[in-house]
Amino acid sequence: MTACAGIFAVSCSREQPKEAMTLQRERQLNQFLAGVERRALRFAEIAVRDRDEALDLVQDAMIKLARNYAGQPEAEWTPLFYRILQNGIRDWHRRQVVRNRVMVWFGRKSDPEDDYDPVAQAPDPMGRTPDEQIESRQAMQKLEQAIAELPGRQREAFMLRTFEGLDVAGTAIAMGCSEGSVKTHYSRAVHTLRDVLGEYWQ
Amino acid sequence: MKKPFDEEQLRAEAKALFDDSVERLDAATLSRLNQGRQKALQEISAGAPAGQWARWVPAGGLAAAAVVAVVLWQGEPVEHSAPAAGPATDFEILLSEDSLDMLEDLEFYSWMDTANLDSGSDVG
Repeated sequence: MTACAGIFAVSCSREQPKEAMTLQRERQLNQFLAGVERRALRFAEIAVRDRDEALDLVQDAMIKLARNYAGQPEAEWTPLFYRILQNGIRDWHRRQVVRNRVMVWFGRKSDPEDDYDPVAQAPDPMGRTPDEQIESRQAMQKLEQAIAELPGRQREAFMLRTFEGLDVAGTAIAMGCSEGSVKTHYSRAVHTLRDVLGEYWQ
Repeated sequence: MKKPFDEEQLRAEAKALFDDSVERLDAATLSRLNQGRQKALQEISAGAPAGQWARWVPAGGLAAAAVVAVVLWQGEPVEHSAPAAGPATDFEILLSEDSLDMLEDLEFYSWMDTANLDSGSDVG
């Protein structure tokens, strides 16, 4: 009887730290995702030019990270998360290519009302004048347009390095390629953007 | 007025514009992001029991495969024994006395067969 009680106590004491660890991990992941979700949404939105699609992609990436990589060291979450998101964006582009082919086959044109409108109707949190806001939004619109027209790998390298501030090694993990490739794609992206935006940049 | 254009300038301008666009996200979008995050976090709490069950899945699969293999292995001789016994049984019937008697009365059986056919056609 005493032995049974002892075994029960040991098994309980093992379960408790496990639950505590799960809770702690959940808190850490919540903090990480809360810090990254807004930027990830804009990141995906620039890549797919559609907010609803971007929201779905970000949610899928968050779920996959929690499901498969929550046990990984926290320092690895950022490149892993962006790698998952990138894969989702690539899949989305592949599906769009197929969808567009089907639409061309059936002779359907896209609805003009579905066109992307990057000008959000939200008040400015920085207290700028309407003219300043419009100027900033127009500049972002030009930048987004230019980034969207970059080849996929160049776009990924530029956005991960510039917007997310990932270093070359982190970008390589997120893109699933070598550090040398990251440098090449990033350099080409900067040159292309300079050529495209040079005339119009503020 | 245009600013001098270099890589650092481009990066700084692009990042500032991006950060600004992140800050301007509306409440409805932020709410949807929050919902997505909560859904993702449920994966962690739901993941532990699922993981324990998942550990037994390969063992269960192996056990099921073993059972199927045993059933097939034991069933196999039964399937093959009937055809294997067939020729021997036929041979015994052919060698039995009755069968030899039947061969002697072959003309009788032939007549009976014809008579049956005729009666069958009459009936039909």
